[in-house]
Amino acid sequence: MSVLIDGILAILAIYLALQCLMAQRLTQTVFLFFAFGLALALAWIRLGAVDVAIAEAAIAAGFLGVLLLDALRDFSPTFSQKQKNPETGQNPPGKDDNKPPFLPRLALGFGLGLFLLISLEAIWKTPEGGGLTAASEAFLPESGVEHPVTAVLLNFRAYDTWLEIGVILMGLLAIFVVGGIRLYSRPFTAAQDPLLRQVILFFTPVLFLFGAFLLYFGKSGPGGAFQAAVLWGAIGILLHLGGRPVFSVMPRWLLQLILTMGLGFFLLLGFLLMATGNALFEYPPAYSGIMILIVETLAAVSIAAALTAIFANVNLMKEDPNQTESTT
Amino acid sequence: MTDLPTSPFPALLVGLPFLLATLSLFFSSKGKAVVGLIGSFLTALLAIVAFVEVTQQGTVIHILGGWEPPLGILLRMDSLAAVFIGMTALVGVFISLYARGYFRAQEDSSEGFPLFWPLWLFLWAGLNGLFLSNDLFNLFVTIEVIGICAVALAVLSGKKAALFAGLRYLLAAITGSMAYLFGVALIYGSTGTLDLALLGQVLEPGPTTTFALLVITPGLMIKMAGFPFHFWLPPAHSSAPAPVSALLSALVVKGAFYILLRLWTEVFGVSLTFAAGQLIGVAGAVAVIWGSWQAFMQTSLKLIVAHSSVAQLGYLLLVFPLLVLAPGVTADSADWLSPAWTAGVYQVIAHAFAKASFFLSAGIIIMAMGHDRIESFRDLAARMPMTVMAIGLAGVSLIGLPPSGGFMAKWNLLQGIFLSGQWWWAPAVLGGSLLTASYVFMLMRLAFAPARKKEPLRPVPFRLQVFALLLALGSFLIILPAESLIQFLESSQIFGSGIESIVEGGVYGND
Amino acid sequence: MEAYKIYSLTSAVLFVIGIGGIFIARHFIKKIIATIIMGGGVFLCFVSFAERDALNFADPVPHAMVITGIVVAVASAAFALALARRIYQLTGEESFTKDQ
Repeated sequence: MSVLIDGILAILAIYLALQCLMAQRLTQTVFLFFAFGLALALAWIRLGAVDVAIAEAAIAAGFLGVLLLDALRDFSPTFSQKQKNPETGQNPPGKDDNKPPFLPRLALGFGLGLFLLISLEAIWKTPEGGGLTAASEAFLPESGVEHPVTAVLLNFRAYDTWLEIGVILMGLLAIFVVGGIRLYSRPFTAAQDPLLRQVILFFTPVLFLFGAFLLYFGKSGPGGAFQAAVLWGAIGILLHLGGRPVFSVMPRWLLQLILTMGLGFFLLLGFLLMATGNALFEYPPAYSGIMILIVETLAAVSIAAALTAIFANVNLMKEDPNQTESTT
Repeated sequence: MTDLPTSPFPALLVGLPFLLATLSLFFSSKGKAVVGLIGSFLTALLAIVAFVEVTQQGTVIHILGGWEPPLGILLRMDSLAAVFIGMTALVGVFISLYARGYFRAQEDSSEGFPLFWPLWLFLWAGLNGLFLSNDLFNLFVTIEVIGICAVALAVLSGKKAALFAGLRYLLAAITGSMAYLFGVALIYGSTGTLDLALLGQVLEPGPTTTFALLVITPGLMIKMAGFPFHFWLPPAHSSAPAPVSALLSALVVKGAFYILLRLWTEVFGVSLTFAAGQLIGVAGAVAVIWGSWQAFMQTSLKLIVAHSSVAQLGYLLLVFPLLVLAPGVTADSADWLSPAWTAGVYQVIAHAFAKASFFLSAGIIIMAMGHDRIESFRDLAARMPMTVMAIGLAGVSLIGLPPSGGFMAKWNLLQGIFLSGQWWWAPAVLGGSLLTASYVFMLMRLAFAPARKKEPLRPVPFRLQVFALLLALGSFLIILPAESLIQFLESSQIFGSGIESIVEGGVYGND
Repeated sequence: MEAYKIYSLTSAVLFVIGIGGIFIARHFIKKIIATIIMGGGVFLCFVSFAERDALNFADPVPHAMVITGIVVAVASAAFALALARRIYQLTGEESFTKDQ
């Protein structure tokens, strides 16, 4: 019975992935992408990875999905049809030169099929390495938290997590490079739509509390900084859409501080520990619980701010498209 | 490995540029440049100090969080990592100096790209992290740090061509790193460890290992623009601002080569087959010829230099077929291994200096002429002698004429090729040099030819030309310490137990 | 057949769909989504092995790696999306043209 559920879920994920890429309309693509994310989240739950499920649903399907939805305002909804009846004169009419020629496609399909067979064989025959479950379990009491995934993320392999918080900030900087820094340009206007106002009124405290819950209970159960951050980021996005862009009312230095404090505190704490003769990110066992909680909280705030900033900046690219281009 | 001396330097080499990059975000445009420049000097200084420490102490490690592998992550600075970090420091500091002058000279026309500085310092931290990393998953995180920063830098100008090239580059980079990560998942699944040294001991041949090699190697080849995955490189590198082009060509693509070299020698020894090596070798040989030929056909300087990168990276791929040993041959008895892989490292260093100088010179020419079409190069030698000299010297190093660093690299590579008996790679090395010579001499011939009408040149700050020339000279000076550098490199014992035999057990940590 | 095997085999299929999508799909948004699908496959592979290696709890190291990986992949995808939108604003192009 359970194998049946897993089988159906697996086929559903594959089906949604294929449909998502083959859909004619971009709107369909984006909604199928949401569905694909949710199917994957269900798969994570079936595999006992509740943390991953929350992360997938919140960040990959949720946050990225919202970004994709926002992007739909830009692109024409029916890309493939526009290509077939070109009125802009970009493509010569009548000639379907948009599709790659048949032979390369066949070769690609053949190659991918072969690749799939080899990969299935490799996965089927993967020897059992045993993983690091035993090691994690043995050292869990020394980590200062009770939940093994949090222990790995913020203690055993804190270095990766620290770099990853950096990657989010770099992603924001990269988006600033592409779209200019527009965070501050949005005027403060009350939402016109009464429904939206009510939604914001209702969801802001709920999301905040739920995020705080996930953050605090991340030390003993599923949840943690990233999951909390997305919920808090959702508050920022809601407020932004509702005409209350949080960053416009904030002095720049404060935003800079909020964006960098997770990363900065993490690293400075690491350096401080190094100065006392430990390795980077080597917490003294007596204080590791509280240190991890502080690092996680600051990281969650920073990531939430970065996600909000990414959304707001990309969202505002549309409002003010006539940013001067420095060339030609 | 955990009994090696511990040192704070590996952690500082990643942490310091990271901290300075974060700090620079608080400053205004001008402040960012100042912090960025100071940060470059501090990071370079730290790298030199750490390099000296490795020459005296041998390999040093830093056990992050105090958790030993396989559960934790270990940073390892051996002589190979030290050489790459030192190279990044030397080339990086010159590019930083140049970038300060270059962006300042352009400040009136644009904003001077203040975000260059935090992104470059983050990139530097990522590169140092990559060279020090000893963990398959951590390597993935560092290549993502490098990838995002590199693409962001490549699109800094905001021009249409740069945006298209940047998106192509980014999609290629994501594809490459996901393929790499797929291989990591399979290796982790079959061994339960991510630590390179441990993997060298416990990885066993089999379909899973072979498949991991099959996805990791092309994944990293995409990242290092190895043929046939080079398509993203020429547009991305040629459309970026000059200091960025120099960074991307000289340093960024070398990161993926470094991982590939580490994995092939230390981890995958068990599953390397002759055919896999030959396949990469063919890709390298084609890249050398094709890239050089494409460079010869271009009409603008930056595109010539970018296509030449494809060719020069091809030489790096030629190292890999020589690393595959026949059954029964051990790493100690194979006398071609040492010249072969040190040739690769020398090629990396020589190319970094020469190509950085080449791109910086191209930036100077664009600044002076307003474009880089080579038909206007006539009589340039008389009007911009320093820049033409820098291009000439860098070109000689790319060709591989003595006494340049490029000569050292190609000579060692040929030695490795003939000692290993795989003579069929030699024509590619020599042919590539000939083709390189043809486009370098074409540029020189144009620069020395008399001009009928001279285009007016805008003034270029003198020090920019000095920095470009110093880098070109650097590609020659690196031949002076060649003998001791190669000895130093050989002390790193990059060949894990993988390439010799599979050692049973011996997993450290955990108890 | 154990449950984890279903998922680890599915991971290969998703990975291949992702690669195929990156090559065949033409619209920027579809290419970006294809990278996420490819990543989804890779992450599924990690997590299925974590389930296989479960003792009292599933192996937490792959879970942590996957959370890290998801965040990294989304950051890259958001950057790619910003690039795609900027390109569309400047040129009206929604896919790579031959000369670009």
